[in-house]
Amino acid sequence: MRYVLYGVVVALLALRLWRHRRARALAADAPEPGGAVRPGRLGATLDKLGGDIGLVARREVRERVRGRTFRVGTAVILLAVAAAVTIPVLRKGGESHQRVGIVGTLSGPLRASIVATGPALGTKITLVSEASLATATRALTAGRLDVVLVGTHRIVVDQSLDPTDTSTTALLARTISASVSLQAGLEHAGIPPANALRLANPPPLPVQSLKPPRHDQTARTTAVYGLILTYVLLTQFGTWLLMGVVEEKSSRVIEVLLSTLRAAQLLAGKVIGIGAVALLQAALIVAVALGLGAAEGSTLIHGTSSLEIVSSLLWVVLGYAFYCWVFAAGGSLADRQEQVQSLAFPLQLPILFGYIVSFTALGSGQPSELVKVLAYVPPTAPFAMPVLVGLGDVSWWQFALSVVLMLVATVAVARLASVVYRRAILRTGGRVHLRQLFARAA
Amino acid sequence: MLELEGLTRHFGDVVALDGLSFTVPTGQVFGFLGPNGAGKTTAMRAVFDLVALDSGVVRWKGVPVTSKGRRHFGYMPEERGLYPGMVIVEQIQYLAQLHGVAAGDARTAAMQWLEKLGVADRATSKLEALSLGNQQRVQLAAALVHQPELLVLDEPLSGLDPVGVDAISAVLVEEAAAGRGVLFSSHQIDLVEDLCQSVAIIDHGRLVAAGTVEELTTSGKRRLVVKVDGDFAGAWARQLPGVTISRVEGGAVRLVLDEDTDPQAVLAAAMTAGPVEQFGFERQRLSEVFREALV
Repeated sequence: MRYVLYGVVVALLALRLWRHRRARALAADAPEPGGAVRPGRLGATLDKLGGDIGLVARREVRERVRGRTFRVGTAVILLAVAAAVTIPVLRKGGESHQRVGIVGTLSGPLRASIVATGPALGTKITLVSEASLATATRALTAGRLDVVLVGTHRIVVDQSLDPTDTSTTALLARTISASVSLQAGLEHAGIPPANALRLANPPPLPVQSLKPPRHDQTARTTAVYGLILTYVLLTQFGTWLLMGVVEEKSSRVIEVLLSTLRAAQLLAGKVIGIGAVALLQAALIVAVALGLGAAEGSTLIHGTSSLEIVSSLLWVVLGYAFYCWVFAAGGSLADRQEQVQSLAFPLQLPILFGYIVSFTALGSGQPSELVKVLAYVPPTAPFAMPVLVGLGDVSWWQFALSVVLMLVATVAVARLASVVYRRAILRTGGRVHLRQLFARAA
Repeated sequence: MLELEGLTRHFGDVVALDGLSFTVPTGQVFGFLGPNGAGKTTAMRAVFDLVALDSGVVRWKGVPVTSKGRRHFGYMPEERGLYPGMVIVEQIQYLAQLHGVAAGDARTAAMQWLEKLGVADRATSKLEALSLGNQQRVQLAAALVHQPELLVLDEPLSGLDPVGVDAISAVLVEEAAAGRGVLFSSHQIDLVEDLCQSVAIIDHGRLVAAGTVEELTTSGKRRLVVKVDGDFAGAWARQLPGVTISRVEGGAVRLVLDEDTDPQAVLAAAMTAGPVEQFGFERQRLSEVFREALV
């Protein structure tokens, strides 16, 4: 819990610092006419993008990054990430130490054999001598002990053990149950304790495999986090884009803008600007996750190949590139801010569908046929393909094929969306329906 | 010089523009008049390519207007529009930059215009925090900030109090005096009579009258204003041949005389009705020109 608290404190401090700096920047910016606006570093980079598109993109970045939605949203996401990375480490820390209460006396070799099971279970075992069963039970209830061994004939645990329970405590209880019983039996039969110890704890046979493991847990976990990141970023920034377009249309500033800009320039600037903010946020999240993970030795991150992370980020970018046009075109159909929700929902459906199906496949550990197909369907590929990567179920050319299909589809969607946007953005007086747009063209 | 030539646009069965042509000279304030729905807004949007024309062409300095040329125009749309949640000086600066002004100059110009229009103290507020009248001033600053060669303002005076009308009128006159083109639309005819040198009057998407205010108001039928003591309703004039009462104002009747009506006969008729307190010719009001043009 300690680390989560640290995380909260750091995030809040960062937020305070940010607000302070922004207030100072605004104050310095405001009074003197002729003082040039200080562009942010991202803004300066976008400036080099050149011309009107760069100007539009820069405004988007500045306004979004300043907005409370972005700052609070980023802080919340970062806290969630910090918690996701930290909590398993802490829990593992708790479980990595098992305390076994001993009621009665136990021979040296038996004690040694119990302690010796630790490494195989990935835990450290401490033996605690208890005066009576009653005190041992109390300690067990209070959580000071994990397992209690009563003589060599009984094991007591706090919670009844399910046969499928794979927690360290359950594994330990089962192992001790078998080995102590066997060893005690052998000793009882007159075999010297040292020999009984060896007999009851034989060295395990090495297991040789013909093929490498089908998929490893870490890659799968990376895919889970990739999926969540993709889902959050696509829905969040898609909706932002939609709202940004609706804002310009409903406030009628669009007429002023289009009196000097072409619709395609405005659209491109918005898409790039909001995309840059999305990428910034994604990079921040990944950096925090990797940084925290490395610092705390979390297994969630440890051992993840950079290839998997790059693949996840690539699909975030590709997903945004595809969906940004859809959402922008959707926004141009609205007439008032209130229509944002009703327009965003249908556009989010394929995202939600891809997300749920892919998540289910990851959970089961086996990619379904559906996921294998969806990995090549552009609207769902940003979810399904990283899952196939995480499950180690895809070759490089399949991956490349999916990327190419995605790029082609993105170009097509961008063109169509530009047409819709251009035709709908200046139409006011009620929601525009696609039928109206294309009926006029015909 | 801005030339609109043969602008035609249909929206379904509705004819918004029907071969509309007229010319806006630079260096003077040009009023664009017409009843609601006459096509003024559509014509102005056509200048900025915000509406696709069925046919017709818009020229500036003799050349068809391009998107590059439009950067030197300033536009104030009928439905005001700026970013409600954006800091005022920043959005004016942004719009200046979109018109090709360098960042630093854009900031200076933005502050200067806000100063001139009396909203400089709100420069760092968000637009939505301002009253509608002040928002309109900011909107005008947005149209002017890049020193446009041509200003196209759709109903710039509507919804303003007299102080606001004066402030914005003064700016329009100043801009015209500096040699720029100033085209502005209005349906409040009396308000623009003193403001513009020339007007174009349109109805149903077609030009019905155009020229200098001087020409339009001095041509046409003669107008007499006569006041007879004791006859505030102007009953004496109702039966006169060759005379139409255009309006009765403060006991004085405003009469429109036919070509062959003798003013002396009218005076004689007035004198029989009672003591004549006022008798004289007056030029037409622009609103009368407007009404007659629309008949």
